[in-house]
Amino acid sequence: MRRVTRILFVTSLAVASFGSGSLILSQARQGQTPARTAPRMPDGKPDFSGFWSKPTQPGARGAATVFTKSKMAPFVPGGEALFYEPRTGDPAHDEPRAFCKPSGFPSGFFGPYPVQIVQSKDYLVMVTEFQRITRLIPLNGRPHQKGIEPTYYGDSVAHWEGDTLVIDSTSFKRWSLDDYYYIDATQYRMHSDAFHTIERLRFTDGNTIAYQLTIDDPKIFTKPWSEDFEMTFHPEWAQAGLYEFVCEENNRCAGGNCKN
Amino acid sequence: MKGSPFNTMTKALVLLIVALLACAVPLAAHHSFAAEYDASKPVDVTGTLKRVEWTNPHIWFYLDVKDDKGNVTTWGFSAAPPGVLMRRGIPKDVLKIGAMIHVQGFRARDGSNNASGGTVTFPDGRTVFTASAEDAVPQSERK
Repeated sequence: MRRVTRILFVTSLAVASFGSGSLILSQARQGQTPARTAPRMPDGKPDFSGFWSKPTQPGARGAATVFTKSKMAPFVPGGEALFYEPRTGDPAHDEPRAFCKPSGFPSGFFGPYPVQIVQSKDYLVMVTEFQRITRLIPLNGRPHQKGIEPTYYGDSVAHWEGDTLVIDSTSFKRWSLDDYYYIDATQYRMHSDAFHTIERLRFTDGNTIAYQLTIDDPKIFTKPWSEDFEMTFHPEWAQAGLYEFVCEENNRCAGGNCKN
Repeated sequence: MKGSPFNTMTKALVLLIVALLACAVPLAAHHSFAAEYDASKPVDVTGTLKRVEWTNPHIWFYLDVKDDKGNVTTWGFSAAPPGVLMRRGIPKDVLKIGAMIHVQGFRARDGSNNASGGTVTFPDGRTVFTASAEDAVPQSERK
């Protein structure tokens, strides 16, 4: 009976992690993560390598991180119509991910999945379990590539400003900005093909990365705007690593049409 | 003393796990719920766990549901991705084939006998989780 009781206790913790208790569990987990000094590379730069939670508003709950409306800059004329895209009822339009289409940046890194960072002197590699999206970010300060086609994840370059890593990304396709459908199922929030992002990563302590994301989208907003997030260190995820996520494996009900 | 309570607890555990799998759907889906399931078509069945597909992007489990005349219909329920479950200490083998479970969810848009998981109720009638659209709403949106 003692064993069963233990199993039920563990299971009830797992229940909490799915629902309203997720914050409590994550805080408990945080409490168990030993404090550490923010690690550094041999050249003295901060070393962000390891397993991290997705960027989240400090203290926020919920499956997906979505941008806070009050942080956004005013729209340019016509910008609002580009930003909000009504759903049409056609799943191929309304939810491309149901067909295993890419999430894009930043949306793909804002879901409830771990992010692994691998860092060397020359590159920072950021991988999220969801769709196993990989960003290869050169750290040598080189400029953006020129004349490249727009993509879902953009072209990223980075440089250091003291202990802050600044990642600048351009060359995006027009695509969904975030999982706004959790808020309003009738429409999407999109970024334009002029989308430009600036990420600023710095340690606030050894277990926390302050992650600021600046959105610069001159076809939609009158000026750049920023929101502050946190990524939390999860050393306990290192043992299993990122689990495989092959969307095409058994996507049985793509668009609501189920295969048997 | 040993046998009976243990079996009851084991059954409860299995049901609780299934509840976890079911309620995980709106919280860890790889897509919008509305793109594939119809919130106006609830599904409410009790049946025998027949098969489990421990696959991405969502696990599926299948129930054989018997009607009053003894006809058996198989229902498929979508749940969380396997990685999400395993990270939370829920391995594949917690889903015991042959277990009797009660699942409520929402039917696939094509009207087939497939659904997202939603609410799971114990045989004694106790509801262990009630999924609703609100559960999928992140609290981070501060307007």
